[in-house]
Amino acid sequence: MSAIPDNAGLHRRTDALAQEVGRLRSLAVALERWHQDMISMMAQNRSMDAEGEDMHAIARQLIMVSLNAAIEGARAGNEARGFVAVAAEVKTLAHRVQTLAGELGKNLQTSSLITTATFQDIQAAGKMMMAAISGLEVQVRDLRLEIG
Amino acid sequence: MLSEQGKRNIEQAFQRAARGTVVRTSADVCDIALATDPQPDPRHGQLVLITVSSFAFRLITIFQVRDTPEIRSYYLADTDQRGIDESFHEVANLCCGALNREFSRSFAHLAMSTPYTLDARCISYLAQLQPQLLSHYLITINGSVQLRATLCMCCTAPVDIQLNAAEVEQTGELELF
Repeated sequence: MSAIPDNAGLHRRTDALAQEVGRLRSLAVALERWHQDMISMMAQNRSMDAEGEDMHAIARQLIMVSLNAAIEGARAGNEARGFVAVAAEVKTLAHRVQTLAGELGKNLQTSSLITTATFQDIQAAGKMMMAAISGLEVQVRDLRLEIG
Repeated sequence: MLSEQGKRNIEQAFQRAARGTVVRTSADVCDIALATDPQPDPRHGQLVLITVSSFAFRLITIFQVRDTPEIRSYYLADTDQRGIDESFHEVANLCCGALNREFSRSFAHLAMSTPYTLDARCISYLAQLQPQLLSHYLITINGSVQLRATLCMCCTAPVDIQLNAAEVEQTGELELF
């Protein structure tokens, strides 16, 4: 059979428990830090997304320019053969940039979704932990009242 | 980690929560049908996401909203300058709050996030979150206002969601759209 601790012992243990719960409260500081970091990441995602769209628009424009150059080159005849070859090369490069921009866009959308889901989970988990700590504080207070 | 009954319970809880929160007045008629996929053309519009989490799971409720004249006139007053996604933050909060209350019968620790808006194209990548439940809904209000919603639930431990039997009877069965 375990010994029943004396009143002074119970007080000491309750104080120690209260201190631990108090320390847990500082979790809020870490949570706020994560929160701020996630907000920065989401802003970064939005900015990269806008840059990706710009890249897409530039690639589209480049394809149009290369097509026009190829048409003008064809009109100019044999002497512009080199010009037509360069226009074809530019078009190939523009298509590659377009493909790359498309892939980048998909990766950014995936990243935005995962970041947002994680951000919301951290936000909710933070509230959950704070509620649990408040519950512990109530328990400690009740314990103090009980032991007098 | 999530039984078939558990999935059905979550879907019914969402149906009930949505019926009570996406309409502006109780006189409005709200039809909710299961859809086989999210909005077929997600290039336009936005997603409003909100999460309810516990230690064992996170449930993300996603509304796909488009700024159509029908949706704008239903949700926003003429003088309201807000974006449609912003007004949906309110709807998402109410709907997730109702789910939160429902789930608090089964889970001691639950909490909600704040809503957030994302590009609608992000909906294509939900599988990356490895959800145990992914269901899509077509919501029609008064026969003309249409919006889409998705439930995405990821579990890290076995989850058993109990529903109030009386409320389940009121909800009825979902039809497959």
